[in-house]
Amino acid sequence: MDNPLTLEPLFHLGPVPITAPVLVTWAILALLGLGSWHATRHLSLTPGRLQTVLELFVTAVDTQLRDTLQRDPARFRALIGTIFLFLLVANWSSLVPGVEPPTARLETDAALALIVFAATLWHGISAQGLKGYLATFAEPSWVMIPLNVIEQITRTFSLIVRLFGNVMSGVFVIGILLSLAGLLVPIPLMALDLLTGAVQAYIFAVLATVFIGAAIGDQPPAASTQETRP
Amino acid sequence: MSFDWWTLGLQTVNVLVLLWILSHFLFRPISEMLARRQAAATDDLAHARAARADAEAARADAQAQEAAVAARRADLLSSARQEAETTRRSLLEEARQEVETLRADAQAKAAQHRIAAVHALQDEAAELAADIAQRLLSRLPETARTEGFIDGLVAAISELPEHTRAGLGADAPLPVRAAAEMSAAETGSLAARLSEVLGHPVTLSVRSDPTLIAGLELDAPHAVVRNHLRADLDHIRQELLKHD
Repeated sequence: MDNPLTLEPLFHLGPVPITAPVLVTWAILALLGLGSWHATRHLSLTPGRLQTVLELFVTAVDTQLRDTLQRDPARFRALIGTIFLFLLVANWSSLVPGVEPPTARLETDAALALIVFAATLWHGISAQGLKGYLATFAEPSWVMIPLNVIEQITRTFSLIVRLFGNVMSGVFVIGILLSLAGLLVPIPLMALDLLTGAVQAYIFAVLATVFIGAAIGDQPPAASTQETRP
Repeated sequence: MSFDWWTLGLQTVNVLVLLWILSHFLFRPISEMLARRQAAATDDLAHARAARADAEAARADAQAQEAAVAARRADLLSSARQEAETTRRSLLEEARQEVETLRADAQAKAAQHRIAAVHALQDEAAELAADIAQRLLSRLPETARTEGFIDGLVAAISELPEHTRAGLGADAPLPVRAAAEMSAAETGSLAARLSEVLGHPVTLSVRSDPTLIAGLELDAPHAVVRNHLRADLDHIRQELLKHD
């Protein structure tokens, strides 16, 4: 078994080394992109099964965002929904033989956490302005400024480590069992890994939502409180 | 442990690209479809409410028309009943008046018949009385049918006005009708009594008339003096008719 903390390039595109997580992510990207394009080509007011599932998913994301942020979920729907969907598919990609989930690598988790961190800054500044957002670091007192700054960094690292640890450990344990006990023994653990992957995707998406919600403040814009809620 | 910064960069770009793709091909179309469906549902609800309002208005109109028809029907029935009642009363009144007229006519005719019957009975009774009197007097002597009435005739003539009495028998015999043939003595006695009452001598022209039953009648051109039973019976009958 390879060392999960090391990453070897599969090939190079010019100076750029292409690693397995990147390749799997491209596959996931193609899968989700083509799937979305295909699923939403012929939407109708009387939905079929696939459209019903997609609408249910979008509605669930909207509901979660609205309940957490207490405001219009339209601006945050794509980011949180994409994170959750990508993490779910990436975590479950371990079921494909020979495929290692890209989330079992620190770089992928760090990329996701970096995007969440950037989105937190962007939405916080958009909602409260630069001064207003920076002023939140001095709450409840200016004494808290260092701790709040450290918190921003540590919670981003906690996102990375939590996701990386859970997914990597699952993959590692399954790999060990597979090498020791044979073909059918790891199946229960693979099922557990499915649950772990879904839970981790949900936790990552919820935490991202909470971080963004904390950045944009508690006072929702009056005009955006009315959202189309099916 | 190693950390591949190229992988970090590529994965960041990959996730951002995926974010754009899903935003463009998944979340936006689905959310727009949800909004369209909600709008369509809202429109359908609005249309349904409008249709329901229209239906309720139509039902209210129908109920109002039904009530108007019922009221109109009630009015027509009431007016028809009143008209029928008026007609019935009019017919009853006409019938009653006709019955009253017929009854009055019948009563008048009955009264006329009764009066005629009474008159007939009176005539019959008078005739019967005359007949009875005639039968009874036929059993008496002939002189009793004339002589007993001379005093009454003389008394009646004496009550005539003076100028009437003066004219009686002055230039012609006095016509006298008697119920029976008078003897010469009776005629002479009567002439003597009349001459005495009239104040001048008179002659008599006597003829018998059995219809008088009994008695005498002076039948002068200017005066008629009756003293016989036929005149009495006629007088009684006239009195009876007068009392009716």
